[in-house]
Amino acid sequence: MNLTPEQMVTGRRSFLRAIDGVPAVAALGAAAVTKGPAPGGPVRVGFVGVGGQGRALLSRVDPTYTDVRAFADINPASLASADAILSKNGRPPATHHVEWRDMLQHEDIEAVITAVPLWMHAEVVTGCLEAGKHVLCEKMIAWDRGGYRRMMDTAARTKRVLEIGYQRNYNPIYRSAYEGVVKAGTLGDIYHVRLAWHRNGNWRRKGDPPSKDYDASKWGYPTWDHLWNWRLYWKYSQGLFAELGSHQVNAANWFLGCVPERVQSCGGVYRFKDGREVPDHVYSMFEYPGGITGTFSSIESNAFDERYEAFFGTKGTLIIRNENDALLFDEGTAGAATGIEVAPKGAGAALETSETKPAQAGGNATAAAQQSARTNQPSPSTLEISGFCSAVRVGTPLLCGPEKASHSASWCIAANESLKSSAPVKIA
Amino acid sequence: MIDALSRRRFLAFDFRDRRAPGDHWIRVHRTAMACRFDVTLSSDDAGHVPEARAALDEADRIEAVLTVFRDFSVIADVNRRAAIEDVTVDEALFSLLARCRELHADTDGAFDATSTPLSRCWGFMRRDGRLPTDAEIECARASVGMEHVRLDCERRSVRFAVKGLELNFGAIGKGYALDCMAALMRERGAHRALLSAGRSSVLAMGGRGRGWQIDLRPRLASRCLARLWIRDGGVGTSGTGEQFFEVNGTRYGHVIDPRSGSPAAAGVLAASVIAGDAASADALSTAFLIGGRDLTERYCAAHPGTLAVLVLEGSTERTEVFGHYNGARLEKLT
Repeated sequence: MNLTPEQMVTGRRSFLRAIDGVPAVAALGAAAVTKGPAPGGPVRVGFVGVGGQGRALLSRVDPTYTDVRAFADINPASLASADAILSKNGRPPATHHVEWRDMLQHEDIEAVITAVPLWMHAEVVTGCLEAGKHVLCEKMIAWDRGGYRRMMDTAARTKRVLEIGYQRNYNPIYRSAYEGVVKAGTLGDIYHVRLAWHRNGNWRRKGDPPSKDYDASKWGYPTWDHLWNWRLYWKYSQGLFAELGSHQVNAANWFLGCVPERVQSCGGVYRFKDGREVPDHVYSMFEYPGGITGTFSSIESNAFDERYEAFFGTKGTLIIRNENDALLFDEGTAGAATGIEVAPKGAGAALETSETKPAQAGGNATAAAQQSARTNQPSPSTLEISGFCSAVRVGTPLLCGPEKASHSASWCIAANESLKSSAPVKIA
Repeated sequence: MIDALSRRRFLAFDFRDRRAPGDHWIRVHRTAMACRFDVTLSSDDAGHVPEARAALDEADRIEAVLTVFRDFSVIADVNRRAAIEDVTVDEALFSLLARCRELHADTDGAFDATSTPLSRCWGFMRRDGRLPTDAEIECARASVGMEHVRLDCERRSVRFAVKGLELNFGAIGKGYALDCMAALMRERGAHRALLSAGRSSVLAMGGRGRGWQIDLRPRLASRCLARLWIRDGGVGTSGTGEQFFEVNGTRYGHVIDPRSGSPAAAGVLAASVIAGDAASADALSTAFLIGGRDLTERYCAAHPGTLAVLVLEGSTERTEVFGHYNGARLEKLT
């Protein structure tokens, strides 16, 4: 990829931001959500699965919208860690359950937020929907096609809200890029998208079982490692295509307004030959209708490319880097680099004026007060959870309902089938 | 109970609407004229990003016309030829030159688009300040003066009456570019945006409620000195904090008083001007930095629709406000 001087400046700024420890997503959040509660009050919620991702969501809950009442998790250590989050945030404690069905039976909750291993999604979500609960399910929607079809059918039949957790849908920078660039036709006709999510590190997590006699087999995992590192085993996981790729394909589908029809992939366990089953390097090419092609790559041996979604149109190129930086380039060698930033309005000034600030100074024309306010802005996850509660309470439209989410899942499942068979696969 | 219910109903509206557009700024930006140009839109105007981009193209186009840093710009050509022959220019450039003449006259010569030789002899053209000799200053002054620029309205031509004269729109070009950008955006149906060039030149198009909120914070000031809400108007800020050098404890700022040939010494740390167009606001901020309180007071009295804020030198960073601008509300911060 050609880097212009402007991009280089952007790259330096991102670097400085990273080493400054400022959370990138917080820096681009939308305006603070401070109003509430609605008639009926915050939505009473139980969490199923408070492992790493469940707790990430828990820590981003806005109590104005969400009243966390209960946790269910098969790992007592995770329950204790979840308690610590509530306590740290000054919230009342939640009750504990090991089995999610017990939680449904005994708790006065209206909705469930679930972040269990992928293979359990369909079972947990349909069970919750059948029990009359609304569900926010962490992505990917389901491990297999049958699973997500059951989830969609059950949600429709029970008339419950089912939202799938793709945070890009709630990220102001994506919404602005879609509204202001893609939908406005600024890119011309898009014939190619390139999606990359490159990291240099081992996906395997280190961790001890909560006790010496902990029996993971009770929950369908032959060993503690199968439970703790479920992402590395096919039975529970769909690998990098699911955990990373489906985020980006979901965004690409949204921006392109269509879904891929055919995919061919390759990949394998090339670097970390430690007994895992799912590849540490994957590459996928896929075709949308109308001659649009896309590629997705995810590698665990080099992080130079970081992660980005690039949309290549006949009139211009849009690149969204690391979920927090949108760049736009006119097509042609003389094209000037145009940057797009999104900043929360907050309570401060739209601009701070002074004598001329040279371009080399970085030129982020934002009031200092606003910059400090940025760190307090809700993350896309907060917006997502609050949006889900808003949908439950007053019917605001879902930004990523099950049907939308199923398309990136069907891409992912087909991509893995192609990876295993070395043949192109039609996306069902 | 009644209170609680009505409050609940009121807040319920926000809850439903909490993802409503309009909760963040979209800044479309590009580097031009050695600074960052920003077009800020409210997120519910996201559909106007193409117009914002077209406006930035306009900034590029204007830079290509006005720059003195490229050999083949229109102004470089005028500077090369106008002492020898009449040079015909297009209508837009002719209007800009006429406005420069007018501002020069109205500010008693404090704004002067021909002061480049002075800036050069003080080393500011190369951002390398130095103390010139009196002889060097006098030599430079001989080639400075907007009164030496002759404009022929009939033929739309420009002619320099003295050799060595150079036009340079450094003190007005950014504001002028913003005015042109806004005109282009309006033509294309975008009527609400905040345009900025390097933070020093700002143009508010439309605005909601009290208008766009802008904080005035000169670079040498320790804090935000005033807060402005503005609809439809330009804001220009000049200050001594942009470029300066010090010799024996004396600070020499980059804004040269064309009348004396030396850096402005009117006791003003920074001047912000609010006017109907960004070009005037831009030029007047420089003029008031040079001309100080007296000129500012006189000008604002004679030209209704001009609001000026001067930050006076001294440990208290005292601000003084002159004049009035319909559509702007200013709040001094103590």
